[in-house]
Amino acid sequence: MIKRWLSHPYVDLALKALGRNRLQTGLTLLGMTIGVATVLAMMAVGAGAQQSIEQQVRAAGLNQLTVRAGNWRPKVEDTGEAVAHQGDARDTLVLPLYRGDVLPVAFHPEDDPMEKHDHPLARQRLGDLEAGLGSAATLTFDDAEAIKGLPGVQYVAGGVHENARVHFGGKRWFTRMHGTDVEMPSIKRGWMLAEGRFFTRREQDRAEQVLVIGQIVAERLFGAGVKAVGQEVTLWNQPFEVVGVVTSATWVVRPAPGDDQFDAVYMPYTTTHRLLNLSKLNDITITAASSGDVSRLAREITTLLRQRHGIGDDQPDDFTVLTQATKALTTGGLPPSVARAVAGNVAELEKVTLEQLATTLERASRTMTWLLAAVAAVSLVVGGIGIMNITLLSVTERTREIGLRLAVGARSRDVMRQFLIEAVAISLAGGVAGIVLGVIAAALIARTLNWATVVSPLSVLLAFGVAGAVGIFFGWYPARRASQLDPIVALRHE
Amino acid sequence: MPLLETREVAKEYHVGDHIVHALRGVSLGIDAGEFVTIVGPSGSGKSTFMHILGCLDRPTRGQYLMNGRDVSTLPPDELARVRNEMLGFVFQGFNLLARTSALENVELPLLYTRRGVVKGSERRRKAMAALEAVGLTDRADHHPNQLSGGQQQRVAIARALVADPSVLLADEPTGNLDTATSHEVMEIFARLRRERGLTIVVITHERDIAAYGSRTIDFRDGRVTSDVHHDQALAEPSLR
Repeated sequence: MIKRWLSHPYVDLALKALGRNRLQTGLTLLGMTIGVATVLAMMAVGAGAQQSIEQQVRAAGLNQLTVRAGNWRPKVEDTGEAVAHQGDARDTLVLPLYRGDVLPVAFHPEDDPMEKHDHPLARQRLGDLEAGLGSAATLTFDDAEAIKGLPGVQYVAGGVHENARVHFGGKRWFTRMHGTDVEMPSIKRGWMLAEGRFFTRREQDRAEQVLVIGQIVAERLFGAGVKAVGQEVTLWNQPFEVVGVVTSATWVVRPAPGDDQFDAVYMPYTTTHRLLNLSKLNDITITAASSGDVSRLAREITTLLRQRHGIGDDQPDDFTVLTQATKALTTGGLPPSVARAVAGNVAELEKVTLEQLATTLERASRTMTWLLAAVAAVSLVVGGIGIMNITLLSVTERTREIGLRLAVGARSRDVMRQFLIEAVAISLAGGVAGIVLGVIAAALIARTLNWATVVSPLSVLLAFGVAGAVGIFFGWYPARRASQLDPIVALRHE
Repeated sequence: MPLLETREVAKEYHVGDHIVHALRGVSLGIDAGEFVTIVGPSGSGKSTFMHILGCLDRPTRGQYLMNGRDVSTLPPDELARVRNEMLGFVFQGFNLLARTSALENVELPLLYTRRGVVKGSERRRKAMAALEAVGLTDRADHHPNQLSGGQQQRVAIARALVADPSVLLADEPTGNLDTATSHEVMEIFARLRRERGLTIVVITHERDIAAYGSRTIDFRDGRVTSDVHHDQALAEPSLR
C-alpha cells in the first residue's frame, strides 16, 4: 500500500526533486523535525502533568470516609433549629467549626495550655479535642470489622488520636499521635515511606512499642539527613523504636509543621489502647473501592452503626460520618448554619464536588497543555517557513521544468499539486522524524527532570496532522506561484 | 480542411507604454502531413506564431482552428489537454530534466494524459518505443549530462512523440547543434513525417535546414512575406 503510494508518479517526482537538493532538504527537514518534536514533547509534558494531577487528586483521598465518635456541634452557633439526625450522613454534619469559641471539656495532661510550643499550629491543636466532645468514644474495633463487611468497602482502619510529646536525647517535639491500623498506608495513597517500613500486623497484634514518624517529626528530632530508623524515642515515658519515616508522595501535599499527617507519629492502635488503657476508637477511616460509592457507603455505614449502637428512631447518632466533601465544607471556614444548609440540601455532595474538582483541574491542566503546545507551535511555524523557503527555491530553480511540464500538457493544478506534494512530503517526513525525536525527548524529560510525561496516540496523530497541515499551508503560496507561471516565460527562464 | 488554420491572427504585447505588434494578421493553413519550415530574422514574429500554433499562447485577435475547431478561446485546462494530446514540442535548449534518465524524460507527457492514468509499465513501454523511433534504446538509462547534444535532442524528440501527437512543433531544434548533428535531427523529422504521417512545423534561421521542409514560410515584422511549397522531391534529403 505504502509502496504503491510511494511509486505514484507525483510522489515519486516530488521525492526525486527533493533528493536533488539534499542539503537544503535536510536542513528544512531538520527544522520541521524540531518543530514537531517540540510540540509533541510539550504536549507529553502537559498530558503528564494532567495525569499526575488526576493521580494526586485520587491520592488526596477523595474516596475516603471517616466515621468519628461523637456528634458534637457548637453550642454557641446553635440557633435552635431542629436538625434531624436520622439516617443520613449529610444531616450529621455537626463538627466543631469555630474551635476557638469552645473550651475543651476534657483535659489531657499532654494538652497543657501553658506549655510553650514552637510550631504555629500548636495552639490550634491544643483545642483539637473532638475525641472527648459530644459524647464518650463510642466506636469499637468490632464496629470497624462490621464496616469492613459492607460491599464496596476497600480498606478500613480504626484510629485513636492524641497529642503527644516525643523525646529524643535532649530534643522534644509536640506532635499528633495516631494509633492506627496496618491498613493505613493502603488508605493514604499520598504516602511514601522515606525510610524503613510501616508497622506490621504482627506488631499490631502484639501491641508492640514501634513508631512510624512523619517526616517533620524526623527532621525536628534527628535533623535532616540523619537516619531515624532504629532510633529509640520516648513517648509517654515509654521507649519506642522508630521503624519508618513517612512522607508525602505527591507534590500537591507537602509535609508541613502541624499538618496532622507528616507532623505526626503512628503506632498500632493496640499499643495506644494498652498504654492509655483504652478500648474505643476515636474514628474509623474507610476507603470506597470507587469514589462514586461514597454517598451510598456513608448511608449504609450510618444505618449499620445506628443498629449496632442500638440507637432508637428518636435519638441522634452518636457518631459522625464525614466524606471529603463534608470535610472540605467544615474546614472551609463557612458559618456552620450555611455549611449545614448546604450539606443538607445538596444531594450527593461529594459527587458534585468530586466532579467539579476533577473538571476544574482537568480544565486547568488542559489549558496548560495547550499553552505549552502553543509555545511549541512557534517552532513549527519556523519549520513551516523553512518549507516555504525551500519550495520557493525549488520553484525558482525549476522554472524551465515547470514551463516544459506545462508545454507537454500539465494543467496548472498538476503543477500546483506537484509542489504541494513536495512541501507535504518534507513536512510529513519531518513529522515522522519529529514524532520519533519527540517521544525520545519526552522519555528523556521524564528520566532527567522526573516530570511525568505522557505521549498519547492522539497527540502523535495530532502532531502528524499538524505537520501535514503546515506543509500544505506553507507550500500553498510557492505552489500557487509555480502553477500561475506563463509557460512561454517559464520556458525561456535562464 | 487544413489541420491547423489561422485566420487573421494578431498578437500584441504591452511593453511599458507602447504596444509591440508581434503578429499583424497571419492567415495560414497547414494540412496534415505537411513539413513546414518557418524562417525569419529575430523579432519577425515566428516564435510568437509558433507559440500560438502550440496553444502556449492565445492570439489577441483572430482565430486559430485545429481540425476546424476554434481553440483560441479555450480555457487554460483545455489548452493543456490539446497540447498533451495533439502536439509535441521540441526546443532549442532540449529542456530535458537533469538527473533524470532519458526514459523518464520521455515518459513525462504520459503523466499528464487525460485519457486515463497510464500505468507505469505501459508508460515504460511507450517511452521505449519512442526512444526506438529515434534510435536511442541503448541510452534509455543515461542522464542528459551523459548524452551528446544530438542525443539529447533525439531524447527530446522521443518525448514529443510519446503521447502520439498529430503535430510536432520544433523551435530552432538545431540551434545548439553542429551541422552534422543538425542534419541527423532533421532527417529524423523527415522520416517521422514519412513513416507516421506527422505534421511537422520547424522554426529555423538556417536556410539549408529550412530546405528539409515541403513548404517554407518567411516571416518579417509579424507578417508572412513568402510561402513556398517545394517539390516533394526537394523534401527528400537523399535527392537534395
